[in-house]
Amino acid sequence: MGCAGFSAPTLGEGDPENSMTATRTQTEPTPSLSCWSCKAPSGGGHFCAACGKIQPLPRDADYFAFFALPQKLQIDEPGLEQRFHQLSWKLHPDNFVKASEYERNLALERSSELNDAYRMLRDPISRVEYLLLRAGVRKEGTTKQQAPPELLEEVFELNESLDELREAKSEGLPSEARGDLTELRAKLTEAQQNFQQKLAEVDAELNAVFAEWDQTLAQPDGDAARKAVMAKLNELLNRRSYIRNLVRNVGEELGQN
Amino acid sequence: MAYSDKVIDHYNNPRNVGSLDKKDQNVGTGLVGAPECGDVMKLQMKINPETRVIEDAKFKTFGCGSAIASSSLATEWVRGKTVEEALAIKNTDIVRELSLPPVKIHCSVLAEDAIKAAISDWKKKAGEEQTAEASATSAHS
Ligand code: FES
Repeated sequence: MGCAGFSAPTLGEGDPENSMTATRTQTEPTPSLSCWSCKAPSGGGHFCAACGKIQPLPRDADYFAFFALPQKLQIDEPGLEQRFHQLSWKLHPDNFVKASEYERNLALERSSELNDAYRMLRDPISRVEYLLLRAGVRKEGTTKQQAPPELLEEVFELNESLDELREAKSEGLPSEARGDLTELRAKLTEAQQNFQQKLAEVDAELNAVFAEWDQTLAQPDGDAARKAVMAKLNELLNRRSYIRNLVRNVGEELGQN
Repeated sequence: MAYSDKVIDHYNNPRNVGSLDKKDQNVGTGLVGAPECGDVMKLQMKINPETRVIEDAKFKTFGCGSAIASSSLATEWVRGKTVEEALAIKNTDIVRELSLPPVKIHCSVLAEDAIKAAISDWKKKAGEEQTAEASATSAHS
């Protein structure tokens, strides 16, 4: 619904793909993008294209737009970091000591948005989670997906071994049980390696689907394709979260980290 | 996270923890997981094939307090019920009974799914209906 008739304003930084970004995630039109100070079109960037004054954040801007990036999943990470440093420098409160209180607040608001946006986008997993969250594909309590049954079986068994190890530890061992403990540890270490391997596989798969996603962005009528890719991403993330929790729990129990 | 008294009670004194013989013809096993948090829950029921009454139920859950309480409650509720009555249990009933907050709703969904999965496993063993949506697998290779 909401986005019919919304024509995206040209956003700054020469990014033609932003118009598409806007159609999918923004449910309401961006408030008019003229500068609050000089009234000229601001260009949609952090600072007015005409007078250079800092601009308020658009109400429903997403983190990709904040960096003037298309909603791609495979991004140039060093480039993003560079961007982050440049912007933190430009938005730094020190540059606004002589500005009005309004502008100081805007700078503060943009700085904190900058930090949130950077933290979310720099890591590929949080990046894709963010994308799916914005699109409403991932939501607390409403998802009904299940992880593959054969994985559940393994997850369950490993949790049981973990429990055994915990119990054995808390009971303080009689010496004749030491051997069992060593055996249990060996079993867990092996399981951990096995799951780490699986984690690497899921990550590789995710990466491949990231590329697929990025390609759908170039398709003008890619809505259906994007939906399908999002479903795939969501499922991979589910699988990943099982495995990651497990690797972490095992690591803790084995006294790593 | 403030847990309700009922959650705490089930958490501290979980009912029916344990397992039943998976290979028993009359035992249905449901193994489910919550994608949001990676927790897993196993729920098993021993069902009388003549009366279709659930005579015993056991669970083992690796997860948060709400998931443990939800599955503990689920085993209490299904005992003595018929399969059909058990299938009518909704996660919202569990949410209400345990006063779960919105972020913990998925934990109760897990318990409902586990009941459904266990019953569908039992039905499969008994040669009743093959597919149930609870066991839908959508793994990509
Ligand atoms: S948080 Fe995972 S089941 Fe409750």
